[in-house]
Amino acid sequence: MKPRFPLSWFPAARDWRPARSALSRRAVLRGFARGSAVAVALPPLQAMFNAGGTAYACDGVLPVRFLLWFWGNGNLPDQWIPTTTGDGDAWALSHQLAPLAAYKHKLCVPTGLDCKLDNTSPHGSGLAGILTAVPRIESGSDSVLGGPTIDQVIAQGIGGDTIYRSIQTAASNTSGESWNGPNSRNPAETDPYAFYARMFGDTFVEPGEDGEVDPRLGLRRSVLDAVMDDIDALNARVGAEDRLRLEQHLTGVRELELRLARLEEDPPDLESCTRPDEPTGDFGDIDGRAQVRLRNQVMSELIAMSFACDQTRVGAHFVTNPVSDVLFPDTTSGHHDLTHNEGGDQPQVDAITVQLMECFADTIGILDAIPEGDGTLLDNMVAFATSEVSLGQVHSIEDMPIVLAGSACGYFKQDHHYRSLSGENVTKLLISLQQAVGMSTVDFGGGAAAASGGLSDLEA
Amino acid sequence: MPPVRPPPWLLLALVVGSGCDDPSAENADPAESRGEAPVTTSPSPRLKRLTDPQYRRIISDVFSEDVQLPANLEADERVEGLFQVGAATTAISSYGVEKYEGAAYDIAEQVVDSPVLRAEWVPCDGSTLDEVCATDALDALGLHLWRRPLSDAELTVVTDLAVHAGETLGSFDAGLQYGIAALLMSPHFLYRVELGDGPDAPADGYDDWEMASRLSFFLWDTTPDATLLDDAAAGRLTDPDALADVVDRMLADPRTRDGVASLFSEMLHLDELDHLTKDPTVFTYMSDELGPSARTETLTVIDRHIFDDDAPYPALFTTRDTYVDRTLAALYDVPAPKPEGFGPIELPIDGARRGLLGQASFLALQAHAASTSVTRRGIFVREVLLCTVIPEPPANANTAIPEVDADARTMRERIAVHLEDPTCASCHQITDPIGLSFENFDGLGRYRLTENGVTIDASGELDGDAFDDAWEVGAVIARHHQLAPCLTETLLQYATGASTEHLDDSLLDWHTDGFVAADHRILWLLRDIALGPAFRGHSPVE
Repeated sequence: MKPRFPLSWFPAARDWRPARSALSRRAVLRGFARGSAVAVALPPLQAMFNAGGTAYACDGVLPVRFLLWFWGNGNLPDQWIPTTTGDGDAWALSHQLAPLAAYKHKLCVPTGLDCKLDNTSPHGSGLAGILTAVPRIESGSDSVLGGPTIDQVIAQGIGGDTIYRSIQTAASNTSGESWNGPNSRNPAETDPYAFYARMFGDTFVEPGEDGEVDPRLGLRRSVLDAVMDDIDALNARVGAEDRLRLEQHLTGVRELELRLARLEEDPPDLESCTRPDEPTGDFGDIDGRAQVRLRNQVMSELIAMSFACDQTRVGAHFVTNPVSDVLFPDTTSGHHDLTHNEGGDQPQVDAITVQLMECFADTIGILDAIPEGDGTLLDNMVAFATSEVSLGQVHSIEDMPIVLAGSACGYFKQDHHYRSLSGENVTKLLISLQQAVGMSTVDFGGGAAAASGGLSDLEA
Repeated sequence: MPPVRPPPWLLLALVVGSGCDDPSAENADPAESRGEAPVTTSPSPRLKRLTDPQYRRIISDVFSEDVQLPANLEADERVEGLFQVGAATTAISSYGVEKYEGAAYDIAEQVVDSPVLRAEWVPCDGSTLDEVCATDALDALGLHLWRRPLSDAELTVVTDLAVHAGETLGSFDAGLQYGIAALLMSPHFLYRVELGDGPDAPADGYDDWEMASRLSFFLWDTTPDATLLDDAAAGRLTDPDALADVVDRMLADPRTRDGVASLFSEMLHLDELDHLTKDPTVFTYMSDELGPSARTETLTVIDRHIFDDDAPYPALFTTRDTYVDRTLAALYDVPAPKPEGFGPIELPIDGARRGLLGQASFLALQAHAASTSVTRRGIFVREVLLCTVIPEPPANANTAIPEVDADARTMRERIAVHLEDPTCASCHQITDPIGLSFENFDGLGRYRLTENGVTIDASGELDGDAFDDAWEVGAVIARHHQLAPCLTETLLQYATGASTEHLDDSLLDWHTDGFVAADHRILWLLRDIALGPAFRGHSPVE
C-alpha cells in the first residue's frame, strides 16, 4: 500500500553552469548555492487514542483541535512583551496584548523565543522558522519553504479521522501560507460564502438529521477510482519532480474519496454541533480598506462550528499574509509600508498590531462561546497566534510574537507568561504544540532550526 | 549534461526556416544571417496544469460560453514571474481537487441539460441505456477534452462509468454526466500531458497531438480547435513544411490576439489590477473601475501595436498612441475620446506621459497604497523588462526612508540615503535611479510637477544612458540592449513552462538575433519560437 501522503520532499539536484553575464537573472540563478536536500521525517503518532481508535481523547470524549492564527508583518516588541512573568495575577498583559484581557485566564504567552535560521530572506526566513523549522530551499529562481508548515505536520498526526484533514482560510485577499512541502500550497479560502458552502452546504448533515445515503456518493467514488488509476499510470511516465506533484494530486483525490465515504456514515453525535447561519452582507473592501475584522469574525464563526461538528480538527487561518500591505482603518498607508517607513515609535504600526489582537480576541471569544463537556471548545484546543517577524522594520526574527489560547485539554499552563532569558529555539514551541495534540514528536526541524524536546515550562 | 545529438527533424526545420522553398518575399526569413539553429539541450518535458483562465476558455470553446463555472478554481501561482512556469512547477492541492470535482459535475450537468449541446455531442435520445451511444459521445468529447484520441481501454473505463451510473440512477442522461465528469477530472484533461514518449513521437520530439496542444496553448491560450486536431490526425504537425503553414494559419486567427493578451497580462502582472489597493483620500482619482480600465488600456495598446501596426516591440515604450475611457482620461488630464467606453487618443507631444510605462497599469500597480514606490517601479523595469535579478535586501537592514523634513522634501532627497549607504546601494543603485525618473507621476499615475512644493527632478541614467526629463525614459528603455533578449527569454519560458536555467544561452541568442533582424516584430518572434528547437524537441524525461 502506498503511503497516504508524501513523506519527504527532495529538491532536484541541478547542474551548476557558468554565468552568462554578471547581472542577468539567469546568471544569478545559476550562481546560487543549491539548497541541500532536506528530508522532513514526519513523526509517528503517540499511542493516545480512545477506545474506538479514532481520536485522541480529551476528557475521555472530545478530540483536541489545533488552529494556526497568522498575521503578517510582526509586532513592536517593546509594546508586546509583558513586563512581568508567572501565573495569574503575577503577570499583566502588555499594551499590544491588552485586547485579550477578557481571555487572559486562557492564555499562555511565551516570549524570548528566537528563530535560529540564518536571516537571509526578509519575511521568508522567519516564515520558514516559525512555520516549518527547516531552511528555505532554492527552486528555479525563487526560494521557497523547504518543508510542510506546522498545520500540515499536525494534520498528518491528527487529521486522518475527519471529513476534512485540515482547512485553510483567510480574512484578507491572500492564498495563505499552508504548505505540504515545496511548491505545494494549500490555498486559503477567502470568501465566507464559499467557505460556508464547503463546510455546511448540501452535503452537511446535522447530528440527528436524516442521513439517507445518496447513491450519487458511491458513483462519485467510482469516478475518483478511475482518476486515481489515470494518475498512477501517468506517474510511471514522468520525471522525479512531476512524480512528487502527481503524488500530491493523488493524495487530494484519496482525501476526497475518503470524505465521500464518510458522508455515507452518520455524523458524530456532538452536543454543540448545529448548522450555522449562512453569512450575509458584503465583505468587499470599502474605500480601499479591507474589512479585516468583519471577515475574521465571520470566518472564525465557521471555523469554530467546523471544529464543533468535528468536520476537521486542524485549521490554518491567515488574517493577513507576510508583507501584507492591507490598508487598516485610520492609517495613512499599507501595513508593510508603515512598518518600514513610519518614523518615531511607529504609532500607526502599533495601532494595527492592537487591531490584530482585537481580531484574535474575537476569534477566541467565538471559540470560547461553544460549550463542550465541562468546558468550552477553546479549552479542548490550542489556537497558536503568530507572525513571520517580530520587529517588522528590520525583519527581526528574535523574540518572535506568539500567543497560545486554550490549554489543549490541559496540556498548556493557563494565565501564564513565560519569558525565555536564553533565547531558546522557537522550534521547541512547535514540538510542544505537536505533543499537546497527542503526537510523540521529540526531534523536529532541520539545519540551524533543529531542536529536541518541547518547552516544559509551558506545560501545566 | 550529456551532449544531445540533433534530432532528424531539426535538419529539416533549418531548410524551412531559411525560407528558400517559399517564393513569396514577405515570407522570406529576414533573420537568415543569424545562421543555423544551434544544437541545444531543450528543456525536459514537464506536466503543465491548466491555468484558471485556460480551463474557462476551454469549456467555453468546446461547449459554449453560456456554460457556468464556479467563481474559483485552483489558484494559479507565479513562478519566475509567470503563471505558465508555475503551472509546470506547483502541485494541485486537496482543495483544488475538490473544486475540480465540483466544476466537472456542474459542466457535465449543463452539457446534458442543454438541448443544443446535447444534440451536438450525444447521438441518441437517451430513452434507453444505449452503450454504443455513450461510447460515441464520450469518444468525441474525449478527443476535444484530452486533446488526443482516447485509447480503447480509456474509452471503456469512462463508458462503463456512464453506463453503470445510468443503471443506478435509471437514466441514460444522468449516467452520461458521470462519464463526462470523469473526462474532466482526469489528469489527461487537467494537465497538458506533453511528454514526447508516445510511439509516434519523433526522436527527442513531440508527437502530433502534443504539438497541437503546445501550439494552441502558446498562441491561443486555449485548447486545439477541430481544424488543428485534424492537422494532428493527418500528421502535419511533425512535418516541418506543413507545420510552418499551420503556424501561419494560427497566427492569422483572431484567437492569437487572445493568446498575446494572456502573455502580456502574465508578464506585466495585469491580473493584479483587480486588487489595486489605494487610499482614496490621498488619490482622489481612485475608483473601482480604475484597475480594470488600466488593464484594458494596456492590452489594447499592445494588441493594436502588434496586430494592426506590426510595429517593433521597443516602440511600445515610446508611443504616444493610447486608448482610454473617461476614468483614465480624467486621471491623465486629457479629453475623453468618447462619452462611453474606450477610444483612441494621441498623448500630447509636450507631455511626459508616453508608452507602456506612462500608463496607470504600471504607475499605479508598482506603487504603495498612499505614495509612489521608486524601488518597486525600478524593480519592475529591471526584472520584468530587462530580466535583471535584484537580490533580496539584507534581512536585518533598516530599510526606512527618512520622513519628509525641511532638508528632504522630495523622494529623491529622502532616498539619497539608500544610495549613500554601501549596504543599500549595491541593490538600490540598480533600481532607484530608474524608479526616480517616474516621480513626475504620483502613486496612481497622475502627472505632477512638484512634491511638497519642490520641483521634481526626473533626470537619471540607465546603465550609462543618461536623460534629463521623464519623457525620455521610455526611449532609454526602448534602446536598452537587454530589452530584446529579455522578451525572447520571457516568451520562451511562457511557451515551454521551463525555468530559465533550463534554457540554453545559444538558443536564446539565436532567437534574439532573429528577433532583432526582424525589426523586433513580436509576431515574427512568436512564429520563430513555435518552429524552434526548444518548442518542438526535448531532452529525456528527468
